[in-house]
Amino acid sequence: MTQTVDPKLLEILVCPLTHALLRYDVARQELISDQAGLAYPVRDGIPIMLPDEARALEDHEVKK
Amino acid sequence: MASHPLIFDRGRIRRQQQRTRNRIQDHNFLINWNLEAIIDRLGDIKRSFPRILLIGSRHDPILKKKLAQATRSELMIITDACHDDHISVRMDEEFICFAPSTFDLIVSPFSLHCVNDVPGTLIQMRRILKPDGLLLAAFPGGDSLIELRQSFMKAEISLRGGAQMRVHPFIDKQQAATLMQRAGYALPVVDAERLTVTYDNAFRLMQDLRGMGETRALHMGESGMTGKALMMTMARTYQNDFSENGGRVKATFEMVFLSGWAPHESQQQPLRPGSAQSRLAAALGTTEYGTGDIPRS
Repeated sequence: MTQTVDPKLLEILVCPLTHALLRYDVARQELISDQAGLAYPVRDGIPIMLPDEARALEDHEVKK
Repeated sequence: MASHPLIFDRGRIRRQQQRTRNRIQDHNFLINWNLEAIIDRLGDIKRSFPRILLIGSRHDPILKKKLAQATRSELMIITDACHDDHISVRMDEEFICFAPSTFDLIVSPFSLHCVNDVPGTLIQMRRILKPDGLLLAAFPGGDSLIELRQSFMKAEISLRGGAQMRVHPFIDKQQAATLMQRAGYALPVVDAERLTVTYDNAFRLMQDLRGMGETRALHMGESGMTGKALMMTMARTYQNDFSENGGRVKATFEMVFLSGWAPHESQQQPLRPGSAQSRLAAALGTTEYGTGDIPRS
C-alpha cells in the first residue's frame, strides 16, 4: 500500500523555486508545480522537494 | 543567476551523507551536542511553540522527543536534504519549500556551515516564521578544526613547497551577527562555545568527520596530492604539534549559536530620538548642566 502525504503537511508545502502552491497527483504520487513546470516525487508519503530530483512536466500536463 | 561564489557542491554533500546514514549513530555526538544545547536554551524561554521545523535528522531520535517536550509542540516537521529516514520532507535548506508564516520555531542544529548562500537561507527561514517566531541555529564555525587546517598546511608545504585550502573557511561569531541583522531578525543574539575533543590520532578524527558525512569540510580534490604521503605527513605533524604529552591529539570545535525573532510589533523597539517624556537628570535626582558649563569640583 502506498502512503499518502499528510494533509497537514500538504497545507504548508510550496514549490521551493516559485513559492506557489502545489497540486497533489495521488495516482502518480507527485506534487506538481505548474509555474515551475516540475513534478516533485513522493516516496512512501515523503515529498522529495529537491529541484534537481523533480521531473520536468510535459507541455500538456501543465494546468494554466 | 547566483552572484555569490559556490563553495560547496551540495549534490556531493548529499551523496556523502547518504553513504554515512547507516553508521551515523557512531559519529553524531557533535550533532547531538548542538541539539541538546539548543533544547537547553529553549528551557529559558517561557512560551510554547505549537508548530516547529527541525532541519536535519542526523541526531539521536531521543532528542526529537526532548525537543517536542521542551517546546510543547503540536506539529513537528523534520526535514533532511540527504535521506528519507525519520523525516517528513526532503528539503535542501537553500531551497526552502514552506509557505510564509508557517512556523513558531525553526531549529537548525548542524547545517548552516555548509550552505553556500547563508544570508539567503536565513532570509528564507525568516519568511516561513510567523511574526514573533524564533530561529535557533548552531553550527561549527570560527576556529573549528584549526589544528587540522594547520597540520595540512604544514605537511603540504614540507612535501611540495606550497599549500592549498584543505579545510573550508568557517563563519565566525562576528560575521554571524552581521548576517542575522542583514537577514532582518529582531533581537539577534550570537554566541559561541568551544569544545575540545581528543582522539587517538589524526586518522580517528578524519574517521569521525567521514562518519558524519562532513568530509566536505575538506577540499581534497584539485592537486592530486591527496594520497598517502600527504595524509601520513599531516598525521605526524598533527601528533607533534597538537598532542597532550605526546599522547592523544586534540581537535577544537567552536560551535556558533544564533538566535533571532521574526519581527513583530510587540517586541521592544527603539524610540525616536528626541521623543523622551522625562529628563535623565530628574530620574537620577541630580542637577542638569548644559554642555560647555561643566562645574569644577
